[in-house]
Amino acid sequence: MVPLTPDLLQAVTKPARYTGNEWNMSRKRHEDVACTFALSMPDVYEVGMSNLGLKILYEILNRREDTAAERVYAPWIDMEAEMRKRRLPLFSLETRTPIREFDFLGFSLQYEMIYTNVLNMLDLAEIPAYAVERDEDAPFVVGGGPCVYNVEPVADFFDLFVIGEGEEVLGELVAAFVRWKNEGRPKGRAGFLRRAAGISGVYVPSFYTPRYIDGDFAGMEPLGEDVPTVVYKRVVRDMDEAETMENPVVPYIGIVHDRIMLELFRGCSRGCRFCQAGMAYRPVRERSTKRLRALAREMADATGYDEMSLTSLSSADYSCLDGLVDNLMEDFAEDKVSFSLPSLRIDSFSIGLADRMQQVRKSGLTFAPEAGTQRMRDVINKGVTEEDLMNAVSAAFRKGWKSVKLYFMLGLPTETDEDIIGVARLAKKVVDRYQEITGKRGAKVTISVSCFVPKAFTPFQWSAQNTLEEFERKQRLLKENIHDRSIQFNYHDARVSRLEGVLARGDRRLSTVIYEAWKRGARFDGWTDQFHEEYWLGAFEALGVDRAYYNERERRRDEAFPWEHTSPGVSRAFLRTEWDRAVKGELTPDCRRGRCTGCAVCPTIGARVIDGGART
Amino acid sequence: MSGGTPKTVGGYCRARITKDEALRYISHLDYASLMQRAIRRAKLPAAYSEGFNPHMKLSFASALSVGVTSEAEYMDLELAEVLPEQEIADRLHPVLPDGVRLIGLKVLDDKPKALMALVDEAKYEVTVPLCGSFDGVQAALASFNAAKECVYIRKTPKKTREIEIRQYMHGDVCAKEEQGGLLRMTMAIRITPGGSVKPQEVLALLCERYALPVQPDCASVHRLALFGGGKALLSECAGEVRT
Repeated sequence: MVPLTPDLLQAVTKPARYTGNEWNMSRKRHEDVACTFALSMPDVYEVGMSNLGLKILYEILNRREDTAAERVYAPWIDMEAEMRKRRLPLFSLETRTPIREFDFLGFSLQYEMIYTNVLNMLDLAEIPAYAVERDEDAPFVVGGGPCVYNVEPVADFFDLFVIGEGEEVLGELVAAFVRWKNEGRPKGRAGFLRRAAGISGVYVPSFYTPRYIDGDFAGMEPLGEDVPTVVYKRVVRDMDEAETMENPVVPYIGIVHDRIMLELFRGCSRGCRFCQAGMAYRPVRERSTKRLRALAREMADATGYDEMSLTSLSSADYSCLDGLVDNLMEDFAEDKVSFSLPSLRIDSFSIGLADRMQQVRKSGLTFAPEAGTQRMRDVINKGVTEEDLMNAVSAAFRKGWKSVKLYFMLGLPTETDEDIIGVARLAKKVVDRYQEITGKRGAKVTISVSCFVPKAFTPFQWSAQNTLEEFERKQRLLKENIHDRSIQFNYHDARVSRLEGVLARGDRRLSTVIYEAWKRGARFDGWTDQFHEEYWLGAFEALGVDRAYYNERERRRDEAFPWEHTSPGVSRAFLRTEWDRAVKGELTPDCRRGRCTGCAVCPTIGARVIDGGART
Repeated sequence: MSGGTPKTVGGYCRARITKDEALRYISHLDYASLMQRAIRRAKLPAAYSEGFNPHMKLSFASALSVGVTSEAEYMDLELAEVLPEQEIADRLHPVLPDGVRLIGLKVLDDKPKALMALVDEAKYEVTVPLCGSFDGVQAALASFNAAKECVYIRKTPKKTREIEIRQYMHGDVCAKEEQGGLLRMTMAIRITPGGSVKPQEVLALLCERYALPVQPDCASVHRLALFGGGKALLSECAGEVRT
């Protein structure tokens, strides 16, 4: 057990990040189990504890008698310094066991800018960063989460990846491990990995070699006949039947999402062309209202939380949302539980619903029109008109809301200055609408503008990313076109988005760059105050890697991509058609309640849309 | 009840609970919300404020600073219906997280005076590694205890302030040598409307100004008792449930 002495804990901010013992925490003795699994998100406790996927996996793994799953998050800068000073290894929250003593160490990779934290945590755990350097006693380092849809930049650091939803496959992985262990670990580490590669949804990067022709990626070669050419994602086919979270850990300190997360459905097939989640998590699979009510009751009783968030990629699309909200509000009328929708659709239905759920706390509404002109919104297949937005904000203002937050992106494919000025115009129209409706000034409109990052497995995977100069010119242009003091303009640091752009479509050759950047001091790159571009620029330069090759180039139509062997099942042909339609500004409808659009996910992975409102 | 609108009969209960080692590093606010969640898990009929954003009618005596443990945390909970003491205790017991124990509980007949206003003294135990002779300790404490005035400079990120701390000391700071090279001190501190002083601040001052030979960074501070008008906040209650 790693000792945490009072002088150590008093030297760091929020010591409760490291002391565990929370309500509903699993308590198992390692002597009593055959497999120990450390689950991690390589970010600080408050962020890691808010991740739904890890919460689910924690419970599912701990339901197994043969397994103890424990948690570990990234120590904040101050704690890292103390740990290094005192030579304390990275430890788990539950039993304070050094992480290197676990059988598995699983990382949820939520976004690219967290990669250096993985290296930092491995280092603190005294586990070699490169999988090839790990000895027989080291844990198997497992990756999962959205970044697996282009995992090559970090492939060398992991023993294996789980592609897609982990509920079923993680159990299979543990079972295979226990068998291998009981048989006396035949053929050692490589022997287990060989078996793991046989599990559907498991990708073992050391069994694949990238080929390059004239410096360009030319394909991935499987080593051995028993490893699949393409590893397709795993999904839960029936959300009602699937094992899930019922007794989530209740943290002692406030976390980012400090409430019950009730997951209404998985997947979203609206088909926004920039959105990786929309392409990667298909098809839509809803939970029944009956199951949701039971889960809500179970989790409220088990945690004592008084807040519940109805989560999904776009919760307002749940087929029976109106009825569900009525049911939940009735079920919990005596319990003083409040409900919230994390994402609102741009229509008056959503406003009515938000109004009913929020009662009078009109704290502010958030919408994502994503682009400032109709042309641009058609290119990205957003399927929202200016009229939709104006109707939605009008309804909101009539119901008493004063502040509205609007999300946009800069640097989308085919974007012109007119589209950027359109963002400012749209924000102004919203401000004016408030005055028209209420007869007074005082609206607060915040526009939050991010820099577009083309992602793998989206129709925009061929697209070039804007240069730093273009992004910054566009940010200035937008700023110059905002004249109303009711409009607050927030924008992202383009340098971070540019780096994300490199990593998001990078190949295996980038692992040395990530390692070098970490060596130079990079960590918590997703935290504005911790991001130091010079570490990264230095690393690219030292290794002679050209960043622009990865993000500034429009990719050839027939170019081989280093991510296509870990696939969510969406076909390249569909994505290409969508890219062509995007350029022409043609819309593609949602397949959820309409015709199949031919993305190929359902037949490829053997799943189907489950939607209470679909005509089947 | 027959005829007319049935009137909700509410009640109040006061509990003495602990903040043990497992919870040492959480803030008072987080401690309060973990108790609210425990009360909800216990399905106690807590009373809530009116309005659209109802909050549980739960109040605490005196905020404990982060890093301090306690066997004398008091909370008053308003209930929408009266339950027997034993039942409240029985329901609360299994849902308390690690680091909270229920020591005593009493149903109060009338709306009590706010705990915050009631409490005027806290007693602490400070255990700290000794790095000198016990004679040195006695000399340091003797001169501190005899001092008429003693100014401590309180630095916060926002401002620096001078406070005279003798006015907050109730009686002498006492010390005992323990096994393992530890020193165990006790001190009683007044809590006044005008302010108070933290035991860690007294310790810091003893080290800096009176050369108390201990390692203050390794001190563990524990609250032993809270008093109002010289009495423990639950001791006057008959029928107290001891669990």
